[in-house]
Amino acid sequence: MKRRFTLYFVLLTCFLLQGSVLLAQQRTVSGTITSTEDGEVLPGVSIVIEGTSTGTVSDLEGNYSLDVPGPNAVLLFSFIGFATRSEQVANRQTVNIALSPEAGDLDEFIVTAFGISQEKKSLGYSAQSIDAEAITKMKQPNLVNALQGQVAGVQVTNSGGAPGQSARIIIRGINSLDPGADNQPLFVVDGVPVDNSTIESSGTPRGLSNRMADVNPNDIESMSVLKGAAATALYGVRAANGAVIITTKKGKEGQIRVNYNGSVGIEELNRLPRLQDEYGQGFSGQYQPNSFWPSWGAPISQVQQTVPDHRYQDNWNRAFNTGVQVDNSVSISGGNEKATFYGSIGNLTQEGIIPFSTWDRTTAKLSGSVKANEKFDFSGSINFSNTGGNRVPHDRFMERMMYWSETTDVRDYINEDGTMRTYGNTNPIYDARFATYEDDVNRIIGNINLNYNPTDWLSFSYRLGNDFYSDTRTEITPGPKGIDGERALSSTGLLEETRINSRDLTSNFYITLKKQFNSDWNTSLRLGNDIFERRFDRITARGENFVIPEFYNLNNTTQIFASQGKSLRRLVGFYGDLMVDYKNFLFLNLTGRNDISSTLPKDNNSFFYPSVNLGYVFSENLSLPSWVTFGKLRASWAQVGKDTNPHILGATYASPSIFPLNGQVGFTRNSVFGDPNLRPELTTSLEFGLQTAFWDNRANFDVTYYKSNAQDQIIPVPISDATGFSSYITNAGEIENSGFEFILGGTPVQTQDFSWSINANLSINNNEIKSIREGIDEIVVGSQFGYVGSTVTMKLIEGEAYGNIFGSSYQRLGADPDNLFLDRSLPVIIGANGFPVRTGTQLVLGNAVPKWIGGIRNDFTYKGFELSFLVDFRTGVEQYNQFANFLSAFGKNEFTEAREDFRVFEGVLADGSPNTQEVWLGQGVGPDGVNYGAGYWRNHYRTTSENFVTDASFIKLRNLTLGYNLSPEILESTPFRSARVSVAANNIILYTPWDGFDPESFSAGAGGNAVGFTGLGFPGVQSVFFNLNLGL
Amino acid sequence: MKSIHIRLLGLLLLVGLSSCEEFLDVNENPNNPEDAPITGLMTNATYETALNVQRVGSTTSNYVQYLASPNPASASDVMDPLNFSGTWFNLYNVMTDLTDLISKAEESDAGHYLGAGQVLMALNLGMTVDIFGDVPYSEGFDFSSVTPTYDDDEQLYAEIMRLLDSGIQNLAGSTTISMGADDFIFQGDVEKWGKFANVLKARFMLHTKGTGSYNESELLAALDNGFSGNEDDAFVTFFEQRFNPWAQVAINNANLLLGGWISTQFIEALDGTSYPTVDPRLGLMIGTTDEGEFVGVLNGEGRGDAPEQGARSTLVPGQFYTSELSPLLIATYAEQKFIEAEAALSTDPGRAYAAYLAGIEAHMDMLEVPQAEKDAYLSDPSVAVGAQALTLDTILKEKWVALFLHPETWNDARRFDYGYKDMTVPANLNADLNGQFIRRLAYPDNEVSRNGQNVPNVTLLDRIWWDQ
Repeated sequence: MKRRFTLYFVLLTCFLLQGSVLLAQQRTVSGTITSTEDGEVLPGVSIVIEGTSTGTVSDLEGNYSLDVPGPNAVLLFSFIGFATRSEQVANRQTVNIALSPEAGDLDEFIVTAFGISQEKKSLGYSAQSIDAEAITKMKQPNLVNALQGQVAGVQVTNSGGAPGQSARIIIRGINSLDPGADNQPLFVVDGVPVDNSTIESSGTPRGLSNRMADVNPNDIESMSVLKGAAATALYGVRAANGAVIITTKKGKEGQIRVNYNGSVGIEELNRLPRLQDEYGQGFSGQYQPNSFWPSWGAPISQVQQTVPDHRYQDNWNRAFNTGVQVDNSVSISGGNEKATFYGSIGNLTQEGIIPFSTWDRTTAKLSGSVKANEKFDFSGSINFSNTGGNRVPHDRFMERMMYWSETTDVRDYINEDGTMRTYGNTNPIYDARFATYEDDVNRIIGNINLNYNPTDWLSFSYRLGNDFYSDTRTEITPGPKGIDGERALSSTGLLEETRINSRDLTSNFYITLKKQFNSDWNTSLRLGNDIFERRFDRITARGENFVIPEFYNLNNTTQIFASQGKSLRRLVGFYGDLMVDYKNFLFLNLTGRNDISSTLPKDNNSFFYPSVNLGYVFSENLSLPSWVTFGKLRASWAQVGKDTNPHILGATYASPSIFPLNGQVGFTRNSVFGDPNLRPELTTSLEFGLQTAFWDNRANFDVTYYKSNAQDQIIPVPISDATGFSSYITNAGEIENSGFEFILGGTPVQTQDFSWSINANLSINNNEIKSIREGIDEIVVGSQFGYVGSTVTMKLIEGEAYGNIFGSSYQRLGADPDNLFLDRSLPVIIGANGFPVRTGTQLVLGNAVPKWIGGIRNDFTYKGFELSFLVDFRTGVEQYNQFANFLSAFGKNEFTEAREDFRVFEGVLADGSPNTQEVWLGQGVGPDGVNYGAGYWRNHYRTTSENFVTDASFIKLRNLTLGYNLSPEILESTPFRSARVSVAANNIILYTPWDGFDPESFSAGAGGNAVGFTGLGFPGVQSVFFNLNLGL
Repeated sequence: MKSIHIRLLGLLLLVGLSSCEEFLDVNENPNNPEDAPITGLMTNATYETALNVQRVGSTTSNYVQYLASPNPASASDVMDPLNFSGTWFNLYNVMTDLTDLISKAEESDAGHYLGAGQVLMALNLGMTVDIFGDVPYSEGFDFSSVTPTYDDDEQLYAEIMRLLDSGIQNLAGSTTISMGADDFIFQGDVEKWGKFANVLKARFMLHTKGTGSYNESELLAALDNGFSGNEDDAFVTFFEQRFNPWAQVAINNANLLLGGWISTQFIEALDGTSYPTVDPRLGLMIGTTDEGEFVGVLNGEGRGDAPEQGARSTLVPGQFYTSELSPLLIATYAEQKFIEAEAALSTDPGRAYAAYLAGIEAHMDMLEVPQAEKDAYLSDPSVAVGAQALTLDTILKEKWVALFLHPETWNDARRFDYGYKDMTVPANLNADLNGQFIRRLAYPDNEVSRNGQNVPNVTLLDRIWWDQ
């Protein structure tokens, strides 16, 4: 687009220059101009003889021809977005030139609402984009993960290391008090909103995918992140949490291009908790070969003297595989003035580190555009994907690893007859292999665009989008095989078949009117209509108790349960968007949108919300020192309304899923009551920013302040069951997010052969729950089990921040009884028995929403070599380490090696005097004759949540890539236009105070908000990839 | 040209707006109906009521030492304050449905549904009051208040009696709709419903024995209209699709999800340790160790070094209480007879003694104890004590056995000051109880967080109104 504009401009100049060219007829130089970036030819490049006004422009094939006065003539090649080059003609007749893209100047245009490419200069709000290279370099199969650490104010969290597992994205904090709300942004592909929901498994967690994982990252041209309400006001209710605008690759005019990308990756566990290897199976220090207790027995070395094969098996390292990922994709694209096309096929197969975990993705994409005539053009695309795999029960795997004896080889899990080999406990690998859960998703995302420009000031555009998927899931837990003495995974076995169908339709029609009043005033007005519909249907049939073992069909079960859930949501929106541009330095943008939602009561279902934003490019208006290249102030104010989920109003009755029983279907009043007078939510946000660039774009700096208040929140307020309901969905409460975002970029070094660029971002978020509802003290977002009263709960409380984790703690001397927060700096009170005294009073032990997040990206190029690395971090975040709670209960932490030691616990007695009493840490009767029962870790340590709510900050080397582009000289002798080899490493933990698996993994999955609970999630992985890219 | 465009646009907008309303009118819930049939409410209410009896029973069984936790100092054994949000929800959920059922029955003059609904309401409300004391009721169920106030427990007992009396009357009257297979308890047998209501009346009246409002003759009169034998028992039989919950406990335990371990107190009361006779019911109610012995767990102590399986007595699948399709007992003829024995004890020892023996026999018949063993037990001097020597201790010991796993035993235990022979407070008892037995359940966390201003401030030693 940019190039096209320039082309017209330069062609025009060309005509004006024609006269002077005729005067000098010495000699002719010709050549082709290409881009160093992709080797493609550059049309429209301006070529001028230095010191004269003589020049020309390159044609559509990048060729030029120019008469020059003599060998001393110097040609200046310039093109917007590329660094200008000068070249002396000398005696050459052919001067071929490759231009390099200019650093810091690439993001002049950004794709905003409805796929409109807008000059970034004119925006009155903050928006950030990342390009294809930055996406594919990350080698993340899941597109959402590719944003990790790259965009200010955007937090992306991997919910775990399972193949295809969901990743969660939150922009500028959590905006809803509803524990079940989706706080993630809207994803828009080529102007069409698409589904990014995560539908987790019922029962044990399986780590399913967020639906954006269906998209092949190799097909993406760029992603821009619209953060605030001002940016998303036009998208309406569905973008209240921001929007990620994805533009896919398109065919370009010129030759047909074929690109191949291939990579092979291996992955392994990136972190283990610190574990003990001294004590074996049994309890109370006694060795018991068939004990349930894996690690409270006698020292392994001691037992070994009588039981020779009793030894530490290193199961925690041996249980996990090396994961393998193979990704291949081929694309073909091309076009001419009239039409372009792009097609691609991709296939990814992945095997995870937990044995038998897999995920595959096959994608096919076809898109094209046709310019029928000067006034009418149309385009369309269709994207098919098939994804799915075997989702191992990772939570149960990790739990069973916990129970598994450290002196029994976990890999020796199966007998010859196919039954489980075990000393008593269930083998985790046997369970992972046979308790399967397979999903198979077929998805089609398509769109059609029509544009009609009857005159130069008027255009009509229409876009129809469709996003359909079917998700077929089969869960199998085998019952007994009928072999004597077997240990079956289930006494009955079960088969659950789930069928999910979802279809999104989006229709968007808009008229654009442009008017230039005079050379100072430019306006453009857009009026449009937007219609959205989502149909969703989920059917589940579950059979239990197989008649014939290992024959998995519902007809082969004695008990069958079925259930169905469906929904239909429709939205109609009308919008207007006025842009005013004064002298190209002052930009005003007004928008208004009225939405009508099917989900709200009829009297309240239509609502209007406006936005205004202003951009002032002071560098165009004021005289500034020459080293200031660019400077802009921006301000915006916006409101966005929000509807609710479909079918929640009023009181209804439900038939519990256990029915029918004896042919009877029971009914019960649904415990949720939706306020019949529900109103839309309203989020008001304010944003100020400053964007600057210095020294010819060699350095740039951007700062943004934002504050958003989400009021009249539609939340399910928990109410007394005695009312006849348990939950009342009504307008209640307000939540405020505010913060700063900093972006710092630059190109410290740029020479012909070597360049170095840096991009850093940093953001801080403050969150406060301004109000809930009178009479309601708290809203529970979720809770996670901990042994003996150490269960923790994430609760929302007025005046506090989102994400506070409550739990039990040690009593502190001098603690203020009114303080909701645990003050860890106060001395611990030690009881008469010599152990710290626990209190079950629920105090805030930490907060799970990171205060600071950020990332730094460095790119180096030297001739054909490229080196880049991205480091990201988060800090000011605590999480509940459920794994550590279990480890301490089972005597597996490294620190439980001190079990034969005495200790004087640091703290004070109730009277304030220091504790001096020595206690034994082991189980049973200690050397001091005191009976310590189950011992310190089981009786005291594991019962207290504060031991497990700990700092979950990290610094990660998110990506390191070393690449080499074969030089054009070498390529000349091959059929290839470009070739690149690279090696990349991902997700390496550089630092974390967390003692456990990767602190990034969490239980809830991308759709959940209880992020503070790491659970027994799928452990994080680090990976290495070898990549090959070829272009024809 | 321009004006044509604008006119066209206007027309489109008009057409669009008018069809818009219809297009958006799609919010009716496709999954859950706005109304439910009275039969469906009856099905769920009878089914859930039986489950509520089991839910409360699974808590109280550790307090009355039928069961003991395999884990040391388990909160359920040592009488710690536990969070009963789930039980509370289930009780109120059924009472909510019964409120709807009752109002629907009134609207359609379905007198039998009305009567049965009132009886079930009385039962669920009674169970709730018996474990929690003051609870919300008068401001409940209709969403008139988001934070309903708590009613006095003694006044709620009056409401229970009113519900039962009214229920008995309505069940005896006419109806426009007859109950049938939707009634999981009596399959529409109105006569049995009437008897059941009378047994419940006697049960709740017996609770008040220590109070001024106790009326013995009224209680005995209710019993005269009670069950005629085991065939009248109120229970819900379980299903192939849904196993009896105690069976599920036994199956889970067999699969190492530990639960249903038997208290030493219970075993020693039946195996000849605490009493001279060996009770033939023992082996029909619980399982043995791998060695075929009955070995219990001391409440609060846990299993010690015992392995997860085979070394202690537990509920085992396939017995009377623990078969997949076993009935969940709500009220039995055996219980009725023990109520009668206790009520008549002071005024008519002969009637009391006959009822006591009939109670034992009814329970033994239920368990299908062989005739010879039954006769031997019933004639053992420690059992056949004679009318004059019959004591409350003897009656309540046998009632304790006959109401195995039933929550009514905790009401007896509290009235009886946990006076069962050899019963002591569990090991590792909750220190706040000062060496005493628990007297009520703590109000659930959900209620404290959602309706905190109305929740009475009580300790686990504060007694409910009839337990003074």
